[in-house]
Amino acid sequence: MGGPPYDCMANPLGAVRLTFEKAIGSGSLTQTHPLAFDGKDWGALDLFRHFLFQESGLSQVPILNSKTMRWVQPNSLVRYRGMIQDMLGNEFYVGAYKDGNLWRTNKFMDVSQYPMGTPPDMCVWERRLLYCVPVPGQSSWTEPSCEMEPNRGMDWSSQNREKRRRMDDEDADPLDLVPDDEIKSSPITKKMREDGFPSPSPESRDSKTASSSSSMSTFQYVDKDNLPCLVKIYDSPESELKLNDVFEFIGVLTVDSELAVEKDDNDELSNSFYDDALVHLPPNKVPRLHCLVHRKLAVHDFLQSSPIMEPHLVKGIREALFRHLTTVLGNDEVAAHFMLLHLLSKVHARVDDVAVGKLSLNLMGLSKESATVFGTRLSQAFKSLLPFTHFIPLTLEYLNTASLAPKKDYQENRLIPGVLQLPEGSHIMVDETQLESGSLSSIGIENTKSLKNLMEFQKVEYDFQYYKMEMAADVQLLIFSEGKSNIVPADVVVPFQPSSLESFEIPVAEALEAWRWYLATVRLLPHSIGSEMQKVVEDDLVAARQADRSLGSRDFSRWLTMARLVSSSFGETCLSLEHWQMVKELERLRRERLK
Amino acid sequence: MASDSSPANFNNGPSSPGDSFSTPIANSSSPAHRRRRGRRQASIPSSAAATPSPNPSRFANSSSTPTPSRSTRRGRRPATSPTPAAAATPSSTDDFPPPSSDGGDDMEEATPTFVWGTNISVQDVKNAIQMFIKHFRETHELRNDVYGEGKYMRLIHRVLEIEGEWIDVDAHDVFNYDSDLYNKMVRYPLEVLAIFDIVLMDIVSLINPLFDKHVQVRIHNLKSSTSMRNLNPSDIEKMVSLKGMVIRCSSIIPEIREAVFRCIVCGYHSDPVVVDRGRITEPTTCSNQECLAKNSMTLVHNRCRFADKQIVRLQETPDEIPEGGTPHTVSLLMHDKLVDAGKPGDRVEITGIYRAMSVRVGPTQRTVKSLFKTYIDCLHIEKTDKSRMMSEDPMEVDKGSQRVEDDVQFDEDKVEELKELSKQPDIYERLTRSLAPNIWELDDIKKGLLCQLFGGNALKLPSGASFRGDINILLVGDPGTSKSQLLQYIHKLAPRGIYTSGRGSSAVGLTAYVTKDPETGETVLESGALVLSDRGICCIDEFDKMSDNARSMLHEVMEQQTVSIAKAGIIASLNARTSVLACANPSGSRYNPRLSVIDNIHLPPTLLSRFDLIYLVLDKADEQTDRRLAKHIVSLHFEDTQIAEQDVLDLATLTAYVSYARKNIHPQLSDEAAEELTRGYVEMRKRGNFPGSSKKVITATPRQIESLIRLSEALARIRFSEWVEMRDVTEAFRLLEVAMQQSATDHSTGTIDMDLITTGVSASERMRRENVLAATRNIIMEKIQLGGPSVRLLELLDELKKQSSGSEIHLHDLRNAVATLASEGFVVLQGDSVKRI
Repeated sequence: MGGPPYDCMANPLGAVRLTFEKAIGSGSLTQTHPLAFDGKDWGALDLFRHFLFQESGLSQVPILNSKTMRWVQPNSLVRYRGMIQDMLGNEFYVGAYKDGNLWRTNKFMDVSQYPMGTPPDMCVWERRLLYCVPVPGQSSWTEPSCEMEPNRGMDWSSQNREKRRRMDDEDADPLDLVPDDEIKSSPITKKMREDGFPSPSPESRDSKTASSSSSMSTFQYVDKDNLPCLVKIYDSPESELKLNDVFEFIGVLTVDSELAVEKDDNDELSNSFYDDALVHLPPNKVPRLHCLVHRKLAVHDFLQSSPIMEPHLVKGIREALFRHLTTVLGNDEVAAHFMLLHLLSKVHARVDDVAVGKLSLNLMGLSKESATVFGTRLSQAFKSLLPFTHFIPLTLEYLNTASLAPKKDYQENRLIPGVLQLPEGSHIMVDETQLESGSLSSIGIENTKSLKNLMEFQKVEYDFQYYKMEMAADVQLLIFSEGKSNIVPADVVVPFQPSSLESFEIPVAEALEAWRWYLATVRLLPHSIGSEMQKVVEDDLVAARQADRSLGSRDFSRWLTMARLVSSSFGETCLSLEHWQMVKELERLRRERLK
Repeated sequence: MASDSSPANFNNGPSSPGDSFSTPIANSSSPAHRRRRGRRQASIPSSAAATPSPNPSRFANSSSTPTPSRSTRRGRRPATSPTPAAAATPSSTDDFPPPSSDGGDDMEEATPTFVWGTNISVQDVKNAIQMFIKHFRETHELRNDVYGEGKYMRLIHRVLEIEGEWIDVDAHDVFNYDSDLYNKMVRYPLEVLAIFDIVLMDIVSLINPLFDKHVQVRIHNLKSSTSMRNLNPSDIEKMVSLKGMVIRCSSIIPEIREAVFRCIVCGYHSDPVVVDRGRITEPTTCSNQECLAKNSMTLVHNRCRFADKQIVRLQETPDEIPEGGTPHTVSLLMHDKLVDAGKPGDRVEITGIYRAMSVRVGPTQRTVKSLFKTYIDCLHIEKTDKSRMMSEDPMEVDKGSQRVEDDVQFDEDKVEELKELSKQPDIYERLTRSLAPNIWELDDIKKGLLCQLFGGNALKLPSGASFRGDINILLVGDPGTSKSQLLQYIHKLAPRGIYTSGRGSSAVGLTAYVTKDPETGETVLESGALVLSDRGICCIDEFDKMSDNARSMLHEVMEQQTVSIAKAGIIASLNARTSVLACANPSGSRYNPRLSVIDNIHLPPTLLSRFDLIYLVLDKADEQTDRRLAKHIVSLHFEDTQIAEQDVLDLATLTAYVSYARKNIHPQLSDEAAEELTRGYVEMRKRGNFPGSSKKVITATPRQIESLIRLSEALARIRFSEWVEMRDVTEAFRLLEVAMQQSATDHSTGTIDMDLITTGVSASERMRRENVLAATRNIIMEKIQLGGPSVRLLELLDELKKQSSGSEIHLHDLRNAVATLASEGFVVLQGDSVKRI
């Protein structure tokens, strides 16, 4: 211990201890009894917040992942980015105890350094345990570039080397057409490549075995690329951290091998008393992070830079992105229009069962072959644009075997993740063209139901065996199908009519960055409607319904969603007549195609 | 030590009955305790090792040897020191039966004893408990019978009679009698319960000195129950009460309580050795004076005493989980009789003591993991799901399919709130508005559905005849008129219900079927949708697409409310007291207003007549409606969603309201309501007889009056009224008429005609047919000679049209008429030509 008083990076616990001693006034005659803190912060957090955000120490803090895991020192400050996959409840620990005459604290630690006293001489506090995993389907561009000072180890160069090696691997793979695209970050993306687009590289074949079972048990996350983390949360209200939220946790890393011993002297009795989950998560596989500061991550936080919002800029970006999408979609402008709106959609509000603002898209008229071709192109495009992408090949076998909805396993007392346990703003591509006739097992039926539920209500039912719990989701869904998909009925069905298959240029990094920023920003824009415009819209709706009785509230709802998205896509916050006309025109074009 | 725990010891108790209540408890038990303490010190090395068994004292004091200062303090309050007190919790009371009061150790008589670390006097607590047990009476007892025995004295007597092992003490009673005692009990349960047990045993031994079982006290029904989520370090060592669901039970763990050792050298049996802190110390030497062999003792298993123990995991019920959270769990430690009291899936309320124990890294390591594992030492467990609403006669229902709504518990506040709500004058309209608020218009249909949710009273006459209280509703209408959404909504709201689609349902799937158990080969009866929704609502979508076979099964269900099975040696009649809510599409995809309901939906009239209300959901091209829809959707997208709908009850309140009413309100017909019913019914039947018209139209059947009664009962229920009043009946008539006007209107005359429903042919239609028949007969009589040449049908039709200029006659009408005549033997029909014979 010891160390310079404010080396928050290398010796955060020392800093904690210093503030603690200061807070209780140790040394002086009038010591504050730590009971007074009641587990709350005594000033340590301010110190770290100041260090991280004022002194911009944040960028120096190494990010914990499987690569950095090798050289990061235990008991140092690290940050971890991940999704809260499961909540393991609360844990009571001895927060403060008297060692002789000195009060010491155990906060942010697993094991106490000194023998502990007896009840009056110690305080029991509580902390929350969260099981976090790297965000499923995370695109490679979201991985932050490390800007570490060189003297903090060989990290930067070694990382570069690491990266290069992986790139080399890819280059060496002749069948892998994916250009500079590190999509090997998660088993799910791997799976997507594997199942969706045949790429018979031995590497991905290996990964298939890992990923196919990854849906069965979280243990598989303990593979090389994915580092789960057990985060211990102090001093924060429960409502702040929710399941499936993506967070950055900054805290003290502990990988005490000592703790592993615990497993050995378990007899049956004690075993059932321990939180079962912990027994199954040995510290050598799942590092512990004692969280000091945490912050919710939005897509923005993954961007490397953030341009300034300017109306004309937005329009320029929109135009460029639209061109790009048109090329990817084989010069089908109508489809590209809908695709753009689809990518901007987001659940804005929920009224009863209606999730307002979602816009799932069904591209129909695709054969198996063309779905593969365009699927590849689109998935590449999405991966470079969106933070979290997924691909579900809707085959009978997949439906009958995959576990889409998360399920609670009471043996391990863990929530076993399903494919549909996703953070807000994930994108799923479903390829229905591969579906053939056959019979669904009960699992298959459950799975289709889950998909349909997600599509219609943006909700996933988590199976807690004795009951099911609905969790709200916000996922964009894109479906390829030959005819209109009935298994997963989308909001918009667009017959897809590509006219050319010219290859598209790989956009420059700056353009990509701007597009990512655009997609992330524009969908958050507020939206309103003027009273005149409202009148126009209402009149149009009434007229449309008078003309065609088959139009229902669903269609109207879709139109208004589209109106909102069109107007947002131009960076505007108020619906204008021009944009409303555009929606009607788009809808007309779409209906024409449907005939 | 051995004698301490043997039952014989109890006999000493009453030898000095006088002081059993007057001697300070400390004195009475100190000798025993002293001995015990001495032995503990000897066993400290072993007990310091990590043991999973509950640490008897607060926190980790097992990990440290008692300091001198503490041991002196202990000497003063032996019986209530945490150690024996903990041991005396129900979990292990047998080990330390309350020491007899014959101890001759009076030297500390003058010093008051306190619960350690507090200023609670043991003697005070003891007195308070004695007072409570002896003198507590329930309020109604106080008035009637002042001299009889109190509630708990009676209970004790009863327990003695049935040789029970525990007494359930309602914490509310404790609170009402002595709130101070209650607070002490909740804050220091270990100590207070130990005293409670001692007092209890004293009383028991007074009543029956020979009673050799140990009677424990079990507290339940605490004033406040904690949420699992809110358990925090300050609750440790306190008495808590939790609700939750059992998710996992460990196997039963036999826990040794008393061990007997035998010397392998001389065969001498040692005295029983009692468990101390989860450990048994094996005697190192044989205590037989003649042997004294070292390390020669072995355990004699079948002379040891074991107790059952089980670890159960309890999980939060879904309604307590905040948004975006996962359920919390907590471990429970069950002992003896509590073992297997709850099975996985049970919803229970438990009362127990929240405990924490420290975790050691390893027996040899000095460092202690700074963690505590928490569990609840369970004192009492109560299943809460018995009170599931409306299941007075519950059938086995698959637990997995139960939804949250099943388990709405009504606390007093909630009931008050609901009652307050029911007093509002516009509650009926408000509920209607709250029902599927995002579906527009259809107000009358919603009112009908509301009645269905509340339901009428089922009636069973002594003669055995029974009348259903469930209201069946059929919705017929154009596609895209949100029928299915209504159905889904009701399904979600209904207390119990199954949603099925007619297309996928077979008869057995709806009712019940017999299968062979693959393992045992036994035939078992499995319930179908209708049986599963007993006392709920069975929603059947696409009713028209159901196979005839399946539909015919519904006849019995909808009127008799049972399902009869005679298959594979099983003859059974299952209850299916379910309301059916069905919806159907017209046979051509659009409703043809020129055809009758029967023609529009291809449903047998026999089945149709079993629906109380049949609504037509027609999509009328109405600009007003469209505009409202447009407004609604625009506001949904652009405005704050809160503004869009005001004054609407949320789903939870609505559900609670419905379930409370169904459970607690059983309205009866008032006299004037009954009169109004009769009057109205007669009126309705009269309406069929038009003055000067020869045709007879039946506008109401006895089935309708039953429906009316049910509807008015449901309407009274909506108001939480025990009496069906005039206005309920009026509204019921209105509802029925609205429904009938839509479905049973004879389109040619515009009057209500029940014949349409019951036979499928309206009275006016029948009259028309007769007219055509008569006209045809006349024409044939005129035109065709007997045995003459045959006449083509088309010629006949022209002739017919000429004669009856008013009404239009179609070819098929003529065909029908000719066919009738042919059957009379009047004509012969050969292909298209008619020949008279």
